[in-house]
Amino acid sequence: MIDSQPQHVTGREYWRSLNELANTPEFQEKLDHEFVQYDPDQLLGMSRRRFVQLMGASMALAGVSLTGCRRYPEEKIAPFASRPDGRVPGVSERYATGMNLGGVAAGLLISQYDGRPIKVEGNPLHPMSSGASSALAQASVLELYDPERSRFAVHNGKESDWNAFINFAAKHFGDLDATQGEGFAILSEATSSKAIARLKKQLLTRFPKATWTRYEAIDRSATEKGTKLAFGQTLRPQWQLDKAQLIVSFDSDLFDEHPAHLKATRDWAAGRRTADQGKMNRVIAVESTYSAFGRAADLRKALRPSQIKQVIAGVGAKLGVTGVSVTGSLDAKLTELVNLIATEVSHAKSAVIVAGDALDATTNAICHRINAQIGAVGKGVVYTSEPLADEADSDLATLAKNMQAGKVNTLLMLGGNPVFDAPVDLNFASALGKVKTSIHLSGYRDETSVVSTWHLPKAHYLESWEDGMSWDGTVTITQPMILPLFNGKTSAQVLTLVLGGKDSDGLALTKAAAGSGDDLAWRKVLASGIVEGTALKPVSVSPASGALSVKAGQASGYEVIFTASGVYDGRFANNAWLLEAPDTLTKVTWDNPALLNVNDAEAANIKTGDFIEITLGGKRLETVAYLMPGQPAGTIALPLGYGREQCGHVGKGVGFNTYVLRSSDATSVATGATLKSLGRFYELAMTQEHHLIDAVGEWGRESRVGKKGEMGQIVREINLDEYKQNKMIVHKNEHGVALQLFEAPSDFNDPHAWGMAIDMNTCIGCNACVIACQAENNVPVVGKANVLMGREMHWLRVDTYFKGDPRTDESPDVVTQPMMCMHCENAPCEQVCPVAATVHDTEGLNTMVYNRCIGTRYCSNNCPYKVRRFNYFDYNAKSPREFDPPNWNNIPDTQPGASIDPIKQMVFNPDVTVRMRGVMEKCTYCTQRITAAKIPARNEGRTVKDGEIKTACQQACSTDAIVFGNLNDPSARVTMVHKNNRAYSVLGELNIKPRTKYLAKVRNPVTSEVTG
Amino acid sequence: MTTLTSDNAHNPVADGEKVLGPNDNAYQDPTHRAPLVVGKHNFTTITETVTDLNLRKTPRAWYIAFAISNCLLLMFLYCIYELITKGVGVWGNNNPVAWGFPIVNFVFWVGIGHAGTLISAILFLFRQNWRTSINRFAEAMTIFAVCCAGAFPALHVGRPWLAYWLFPIPNQMGMWPQFRSPLLWDVFAVNTYATVSLLFWYVGMIPDLATLRDRCKNKIGQFLYGLFSLGWTGSSRHWHRYEKAYLLLAALATPLVLSVHSVVSFDFATSQLPGWHTTIFPPYFVAGAVFGGFAMVVTLAVPARQWFGLKDFITMRHLENMNKIILATGMIVSYAYITEFFTAWYSGHHFEQFVFLNRPFGPYSWAFFTMVFCNVCAPQLFWFKKCRTSIPVMMFVAMCVNVGMWFERFVIVTTSLHRDFLPSSWDMFVPTKIDIMMFIGSFGLFFTLFLLFCRFLPMVAMAEVKNVTPQAHAHHDHDEHHEGGQH
Repeated sequence: MIDSQPQHVTGREYWRSLNELANTPEFQEKLDHEFVQYDPDQLLGMSRRRFVQLMGASMALAGVSLTGCRRYPEEKIAPFASRPDGRVPGVSERYATGMNLGGVAAGLLISQYDGRPIKVEGNPLHPMSSGASSALAQASVLELYDPERSRFAVHNGKESDWNAFINFAAKHFGDLDATQGEGFAILSEATSSKAIARLKKQLLTRFPKATWTRYEAIDRSATEKGTKLAFGQTLRPQWQLDKAQLIVSFDSDLFDEHPAHLKATRDWAAGRRTADQGKMNRVIAVESTYSAFGRAADLRKALRPSQIKQVIAGVGAKLGVTGVSVTGSLDAKLTELVNLIATEVSHAKSAVIVAGDALDATTNAICHRINAQIGAVGKGVVYTSEPLADEADSDLATLAKNMQAGKVNTLLMLGGNPVFDAPVDLNFASALGKVKTSIHLSGYRDETSVVSTWHLPKAHYLESWEDGMSWDGTVTITQPMILPLFNGKTSAQVLTLVLGGKDSDGLALTKAAAGSGDDLAWRKVLASGIVEGTALKPVSVSPASGALSVKAGQASGYEVIFTASGVYDGRFANNAWLLEAPDTLTKVTWDNPALLNVNDAEAANIKTGDFIEITLGGKRLETVAYLMPGQPAGTIALPLGYGREQCGHVGKGVGFNTYVLRSSDATSVATGATLKSLGRFYELAMTQEHHLIDAVGEWGRESRVGKKGEMGQIVREINLDEYKQNKMIVHKNEHGVALQLFEAPSDFNDPHAWGMAIDMNTCIGCNACVIACQAENNVPVVGKANVLMGREMHWLRVDTYFKGDPRTDESPDVVTQPMMCMHCENAPCEQVCPVAATVHDTEGLNTMVYNRCIGTRYCSNNCPYKVRRFNYFDYNAKSPREFDPPNWNNIPDTQPGASIDPIKQMVFNPDVTVRMRGVMEKCTYCTQRITAAKIPARNEGRTVKDGEIKTACQQACSTDAIVFGNLNDPSARVTMVHKNNRAYSVLGELNIKPRTKYLAKVRNPVTSEVTG
Repeated sequence: MTTLTSDNAHNPVADGEKVLGPNDNAYQDPTHRAPLVVGKHNFTTITETVTDLNLRKTPRAWYIAFAISNCLLLMFLYCIYELITKGVGVWGNNNPVAWGFPIVNFVFWVGIGHAGTLISAILFLFRQNWRTSINRFAEAMTIFAVCCAGAFPALHVGRPWLAYWLFPIPNQMGMWPQFRSPLLWDVFAVNTYATVSLLFWYVGMIPDLATLRDRCKNKIGQFLYGLFSLGWTGSSRHWHRYEKAYLLLAALATPLVLSVHSVVSFDFATSQLPGWHTTIFPPYFVAGAVFGGFAMVVTLAVPARQWFGLKDFITMRHLENMNKIILATGMIVSYAYITEFFTAWYSGHHFEQFVFLNRPFGPYSWAFFTMVFCNVCAPQLFWFKKCRTSIPVMMFVAMCVNVGMWFERFVIVTTSLHRDFLPSSWDMFVPTKIDIMMFIGSFGLFFTLFLLFCRFLPMVAMAEVKNVTPQAHAHHDHDEHHEGGQH
């Protein structure tokens, strides 16, 4: 209703609403506040004095900072004149590809921004990865942008180029035709590429007298030879751990670097996750050094490799496996174990024996025969042909002998680094010196390159057209994500050049290898990354006739076990992400100490960090000791791949070259080593102290973590039987937190409530999440000197706790607990920040505002999980091998952009801020991924659906131990997991209301029936 | 030292039986109130003694001392250069121990800064007239200590060029500081304290600056002393207003003595870290600050009265009184230590108990026992008058307390942080060279300022000291038992 008439009308007035016409006081007021939050009175009401006061104070204090005038770094941008098809600037695209390692391809999915690959993920369509990926694959993107990769061909120590090589090759290999390739040898990495196989065939047809050698430092020949012994044919076991109730592993790295580890761990986890339904598989691991299998095991026995062989034979004999016998009698301890395993195996409904590659051919064969005997074939393992094996190949020892004898004039090395990693008795470097023409294709100018006549830069897999077979045989296509940055070429391209072919990009070769003639099929292959239906078919096996016998008795001297390390066989030695990823058990970064039994070491007066000398067959290694709980007495484990002399400056001289002890007759295990202390000390950079801890510290740790067999407070673990009886047993020691004096200001659930759950029962501590987080979130590397000071930057760390006395307990239990920001609803960090740089958003994210942070570090002090990380230096701009950066005598805020190598800058995820020095950072629950999912959801007027967001750590996890989602959604997986009886909050008693919950670990010890 | 010319000086104990020495006023005699100034002094000699220190030719010793302090100050500046051009990583701070030396040093210096205001404000309000001889340089010490203290938190932030965001300045970001953070309270508390202390010190100095103005013979000195004496003429009206202002400032400063260190302690007490999260912290910190502050005053006063010939003004009785305060506050601090342990045991709280076992038995036990020896054991000597009045003993104890109070803050900051809740994040804190150089360098800043003060400003509050001499109460001359105080 119109209450009053407009006043002071002079002439015709137009009105916009009845209210205006009425000109009520409310309307007038509204008119005054036309612009919300802008009150003109406030400005007008400010007196001149007040204005000058405020201006003066602002100017003075801005002046104090000396950067009142901030200058931002100069940037050059080159926009497209017209947008290329299918590209939306700033929106990432994903392509399927594959990474070949050790002749086995892993299916990957690469995120690419504006033409540069920045993040590796598992290909969900790939049968062997199902979306997960390994730490090595995650870290490969850093290698792509390593400015120290080889950039040009080198001929006799002088810079050369591909054209020179092409001219050389045409003449040189043309001349070889006359002799049918006499004196021509090829040494290749293991490869399952069909393109290379075809070229190999062409090559050997043209040069019938040439030889082809396959060599991989991480030796998996035991399985090839073992299956041949067991079944009369070289086979590849395809483990199906989800089908077995009992899994017995003998010295297997199936959960570590094994090419099938993603599928194996996923299958194992499937059998663990059923614990809530009251059944769970049981794992027995018998091993000579602590592996991921041992961490996953319900019963772990630490034995010397020689003892493990006897146990295997004992179990085989006990189970009545054809042809298996033990010569002599086993000692009581081993007999007991044999009986236990045999009983368990025969009682289990389905059991499988996992044979490790560290075993010798005989014992490996026994394992396979046991599998055949107990009916595990088809119910835990199937066998397929072994695509890598080629009977016609010559072995490395023969090749080296021929080279020494001067019978090899031309050696073409496709990848690999034999001078560094070939068995030391072959003396490969000197053999190579006797070869007139040696050509080495490799990504870095490495130890082999510098002594070869030709070094050729190898393209990174993210720059290449390649193909390969994954462990199950599925052909996996590698498509380039970017043109070669440094002009590298693939093995197939080099073989084409050697054969006198045209220099091509390898697309045609790969296309032919994929066998897809028509374009549509090819597009499908590219889209999925795999060629459907190419998995190897299982073959039926029957035990061969040969007898398999193992001698009982004690081996003399120390037994040395060579294992792959965080940098695999050394080829990733220049990758700072991998070097800085703490080893799951030792927590050592930037080093590969020798792992010793605690009692052995103490008897020899050796402490962790002491220099030791290991001699083996006349060879000598000086390295550093690490007293490893659960390392069997009489053994030394030596991780391979460190101590590189020729790689980039990042990896040069990091750690110790353990290859110097490894000879061709003992590539996995060697016997008869001696050990002595050198009485000097070396600093090992560990991110978690297991050692050097005093009695008080021991007490404090034990009361939080629990004794062996006890539940613990921060890491909770229970036995399956107890859990079945009392579903709430995980919470038995919890005290309720009294209600707060004040109501929480918000539930932080509008419209989503983000939360996470981590299942400690399926976490094996593989570090893939750590590297995935690092790659996704631009987490910098700090270097050894800063790790020593306790400044590692990993947003996500894997906490490892041992339970049990390392002196008296042969195999202490291990619990791994991934730890990152819990996004506490009642976050202690937020209350103490004086500049409000860390605040909560409405959906429960504890956000970090980097450009507001001034770095008081108070938040870190008040964080009970200590998951906040501080940029003490500008780590991105600093070499990881230096302690501190050079002085920056410039405007402080301009530091990051100006001093990071432009090639290195390409690895940064553009969705995540690159933090400068002096600011705090921490896990954001991958807020950029959340936003990326929220925007389309909001456009569609809905909330984010479960599964739409996967955090980087969740994505990498092969066992699905990490679940993220919306707690508002009652059907979301994370909500279900939070409601699980095993779910508990770490330090929940502090009333900080963490949004991440942990599921207690469940063990299934050998005290009850197997209940798979 | 100036010769005493006047024989008018009245020494009430000159003929007393309980004389311990000619210039000793540290006796206890209920029938006599001990004099606060000894020696044969009249107003002229007081003025001459004090102003001569400023007006005479600069002694060589001063130059030597100044050069040494300047070297230390340069070292301090070099450390700041390294810090700003490289990052706070030049210190030893790490992930569990995000606050290391800088915060330890900050709390240490702020603590030292307590004695000055306590002497000038609280003792003034309580009519403790013995304060007059030592208040000026105790206040100077306060201001300089607060300068040193202020440098650390400002520099310790990751991006020191943005430290001004801690102040509530209207800005284009529309951001206020976060008022729930104790660090912010700290900013206000320390700034208020610094401002009021400076004002108090300056206002108290005005009459003496005027004296210097009048006696100064060089132009620059005359101009500067004249400028800062604000036209003081010594008229009754000036005196009247001056004393009112002084009283008001004393009343303002008094709560600050208690508030600053209480607020500093909130930095720790309001966190949830075991070992920090303690309700006893505010009184415990204040007592500790007074304790440490008085130890520093003694440390400075003993050589100063020797070198500058001020033994008649800063008498043994002054020193003894300060030693008594050291003893008293030391006992409070010791009590707080015991209470902390008791509470940890009584709480039944594992994390709390662990911290208090980790202090004496963990890897930093050496620091803990250094602290206990210096702060709990050493001051016990002051139960004995012989010790209280012995220069070597009091210097030993004062030095112990200086060291001990630094270690107290080190123990609180480091041992609580280095092993907190999750054993996986436990680590050790090891200071770097820059850490140590910067701590030593901060003494360079302190002594540089202090030496400048000694050279150019009146070290003893002449006007106030004159007030407590017998001559100021000439009408009481017949009375042997006169009070040396003002009325």
